[in-house]
Amino acid sequence: MIRYSLSILILVLLALIAQQFIPVLTGAYNSRLLLVTLVFLCASVTVRPPVMLALAFICGFLWDAQNALGPPGGDPDVYKYPAESLRFGYSIILYGLIGYLMQGIQPLFREGKWQFSTFLVGVSIFIYLISEYLIINFVRGEFQFSRATFFQITFTSILTMLFSPVVFWSLFQIAERFGHEIRFEGLNKKRRRRVIA
Amino acid sequence: MRPLNLVAFLLFLGGTVWALTRSERTVREIQRSYYSWLTPFLTTGSELETKARAFLDEAEHSKKLETELETIRTEYDRLKQVEAKFQEVEEENAGLRRALDFQKRIGFKAVAARVIRRQPTTWWQTVDIDRGSESGVAVHQPVVADGGLVGKVDRVGDKLSSVILITDEACKVSVQVEGTPEVGILSGQRGQYESEPLLRLRFLSTKARISPGTRVFTTGLGGLFPSNILVGTVESVVPGPLDTEALVRPSVNFTDLSTVFLLPLP
Repeated sequence: MIRYSLSILILVLLALIAQQFIPVLTGAYNSRLLLVTLVFLCASVTVRPPVMLALAFICGFLWDAQNALGPPGGDPDVYKYPAESLRFGYSIILYGLIGYLMQGIQPLFREGKWQFSTFLVGVSIFIYLISEYLIINFVRGEFQFSRATFFQITFTSILTMLFSPVVFWSLFQIAERFGHEIRFEGLNKKRRRRVIA
Repeated sequence: MRPLNLVAFLLFLGGTVWALTRSERTVREIQRSYYSWLTPFLTTGSELETKARAFLDEAEHSKKLETELETIRTEYDRLKQVEAKFQEVEEENAGLRRALDFQKRIGFKAVAARVIRRQPTTWWQTVDIDRGSESGVAVHQPVVADGGLVGKVDRVGDKLSSVILITDEACKVSVQVEGTPEVGILSGQRGQYESEPLLRLRFLSTKARISPGTRVFTTGLGGLFPSNILVGTVESVVPGPLDTEALVRPSVNFTDLSTVFLLPLP
């Protein structure tokens, strides 16, 4: 379990490096593959809540370190209404929330039905991005939700979801290597079927 | 809830509160450490990209040499390709010459930088450049290109920096409309993904007489940008009961941004 958790952490760090080289698809409303979020979501369904929360904290913390904007600067008499920035650490909460969402379908995943998890990865990314955008609207005022924003969120969710089987496959390989059983109920059923046969 | 899960949840909450209550300075330190850890990967990635491009160009060139040995028709095709390549080089040469002339034209010392990453974040309009504190880059330093104002430095690393573009909602610029006493605050708009985004110029007087096509320059007020830098041209004007707003087309082509210049802090 410890070796599996550590390897997931390494996988997250590798995803973070790879994320730097993933370009934005300008032709598809600036959508992109969110690799770090994808690895977190796939991993969170395979571990227990304490490990999921630790991963949520690490991912959220690093994500904010990468994306947080600096203070607007300038003379406040001239720039009276600066655009509020998102507080450092908000992503930790969002990661925690979507992590719990993934934990909710862990029983299905353990039965070997990973397809539900794949679908839920897309849903979670959608929830994550829409929450992030709504928070931006809330802190900056003047609610705006354009069609382009909706498409950006949708395309990013779909694109990321399409890559989740690859990440799940990688996790199965890691789990097998370190003897961590992440879908034991499904395996038990299969074994039982074999015994009956 | 199991005791272990409860303890983990409480620790998670504690950690989140700790992160949320960090001061701006601490956040900047965290970001600095984070990017100093990432810089070797980013630099290597950028170098690999340059090498890959050179290799592809070389491969393309070899293909052209092969076609030289073929029939007259292939020869004709090759010449067409060479012509296309020549035009490309000519354009690149003209661009570099413009950039050099621009550097000479501007009356202050400017540091040239190369854009190495575009749009690295989901919601913010930013680019990363290959200059950092080692080249004397400082936070909020104005950034310009051949066409006009690009933005300002948002985060500084040792070798790399992040520039927030004027097309972002958070980058506000004090500007004046040419030939009028009208002064306002210009910024980008949320959720704009067009290749040529429009900027929002606010807080103009209700009696503002502005016609489309009028140029907009920085005022130099507010301590962020020097005065008289071209920002864009007015596209349309929307009079309101309290103030007048205008939509401004930026003078810089952000889709083709490859070389920028960092100006000293005003």
